[in-house]
Amino acid sequence: MTDRLRAVRGHLVLAAVGLACVFPIYWMYATSLRRPGDVFATSLLPWPLSLGSYREAARELDVVGLLANTAVVAVGVAVGQLLVALLAAYAFAAYRFRGEKLLYLAMIGTWLIPFQVTMLPNYVLLYQAGLLNTLAGVILPQLLSGVAVLLLRSHMRSIPGELLEAARMDGRGSWGTLWTVVVPVLRPALAALAILLFVTAWNEYFWPAMVLQRSGAVIQLGIRGFLGTEGVRWGPLMAASGLACLPVFALYLVLQRQVVSAFVRSGLR
Amino acid sequence: MTLLVEVPPPAPAPAAEVPPARRSAGRRLVGAAAPYLYLAPALALLVVWTYRPLLQAVQLSTLSWNLLPTSPATPVGAANFREVLTAPELGDAVGVTALFIVGLLPFTIVLPVVIALSARRVRGRARTLYQALVFAPMLVAPVASAAIWQWLLDPGSGAVNRVLGLQVNWLADPTAAQVAIIVVTGWHVLGFATLIVSAGLGGTDDEYAAAASVDGARPRQITWRITLPLLSPTLVFLTLMTILLSAQWSFPLVDTLTQGGPGDATTSIYYLLWEYGFRSFDAGHGAAAGLVFFVVFLAVAWVLVTLSDRLSFHDD
Repeated sequence: MTDRLRAVRGHLVLAAVGLACVFPIYWMYATSLRRPGDVFATSLLPWPLSLGSYREAARELDVVGLLANTAVVAVGVAVGQLLVALLAAYAFAAYRFRGEKLLYLAMIGTWLIPFQVTMLPNYVLLYQAGLLNTLAGVILPQLLSGVAVLLLRSHMRSIPGELLEAARMDGRGSWGTLWTVVVPVLRPALAALAILLFVTAWNEYFWPAMVLQRSGAVIQLGIRGFLGTEGVRWGPLMAASGLACLPVFALYLVLQRQVVSAFVRSGLR
Repeated sequence: MTLLVEVPPPAPAPAAEVPPARRSAGRRLVGAAAPYLYLAPALALLVVWTYRPLLQAVQLSTLSWNLLPTSPATPVGAANFREVLTAPELGDAVGVTALFIVGLLPFTIVLPVVIALSARRVRGRARTLYQALVFAPMLVAPVASAAIWQWLLDPGSGAVNRVLGLQVNWLADPTAAQVAIIVVTGWHVLGFATLIVSAGLGGTDDEYAAAASVDGARPRQITWRITLPLLSPTLVFLTLMTILLSAQWSFPLVDTLTQGGPGDATTSIYYLLWEYGFRSFDAGHGAAAGLVFFVVFLAVAWVLVTLSDRLSFHDD
């Protein structure tokens, strides 16, 4: 077989798999854009287009409010995780201290602990603190990300020593060095990690489901409410799901390379 | 023991610790406390949200308590653990979990290898586009993907039955529901596994294949005898991830699509644990089950990590 033929075969395999992967996503948007009467149509192109399903979803759910709440939670979690991890990683990367290894393992080990083990006691604590059914109750328990600490630490270790040395010569303390030297150098890594954390937090479902049991205040729960009903109305359901995915897809379209590399580096999720 | 793909830093930099040259005792004290101050927020969160509840779970596991603040908790010793370990549903859940693992391996090993090998022949923008397409499902929120698939799998008007000309009631028939959960989970993780394999391929040395090609080896032989063995650490890693995380990956889909049913056909260990915790309203029982799971999970992870060193082929 010639190289040319092999390239053609490669294209065919990839195109087939790629299309199979996006078809469900395409079908969601196609269904959501059909006229409410055409939802069961099977034509590949949703024509004529209509926003009827979106209007119906908006009547039923406070879509804007839900999206705003979800955004608050996702931004809060991502920014918080980034800050906490930045400080912790700085401690691990720039200092040698007693208990370093143990503390590091304790932090990285968090993802081995299944969330079912900790959810009950944490739920009780939130209840006692009066944080059930609040967005703060969703954000607070998620603020530590072991993956973020691990990634930032390995990035910080690759910063050339001369840079830090120069900062010291300038008479900067460790706090000043962190913000004027380390953070600017790490900007690309921080951006990639921020995207990863935001996407993960945006899509997170279980913790919000537990904390907001009765109020259904994020978009994921709004959709679940739709799912449970008898005789599902597919048009509005697809419209709400499509809206829930939209911010992440938009981010992905703009920053594809960073998103992909962030996911590969994290190795998880 | 980390199971993460850590990108090794290019060059280890010397520690940036500030040598206390001429400093007052007070400043030295601050200097010694500095790492702990930087760590303080993370440590506080770690204690409050991870290790405190872990200890509390140990304590809860010896009680019988229905979670209501008004009702008393009675100590029952090891009874919870005995009940969990002898529960008939445990065996079924282990079986379902094993089925998920085996069912997901084609999506985490076979397909990603095929895709990554094909992608080597394709360059430029087309390649980026294919990668983007394969990766997109990972970004779909679990609840949204449950909604999408419930629509696609709808027995009457879903696209799957219409396209395939079938009349399967996907989520109501035990076997069909298991297939559905595996395929939907596979759809979610395929992009991730493909990226890992591509990264692994990028890291292998092309010289071996080139040398074999000069010696007259055919492409198929090169793939099987050289490329795949060189890729084995990556494949072992993905197998390990599949074994450890299958139940976790499928969990949101099980919860939204089948709730573990029909019957117990899609109740994996992970889902069983969730049911113990929140459906049965017995905190002690749930905590005991969680701890058993945690210990077994740790042990399996440990064994797999130790094994993986022996199973992979190294080129040195």
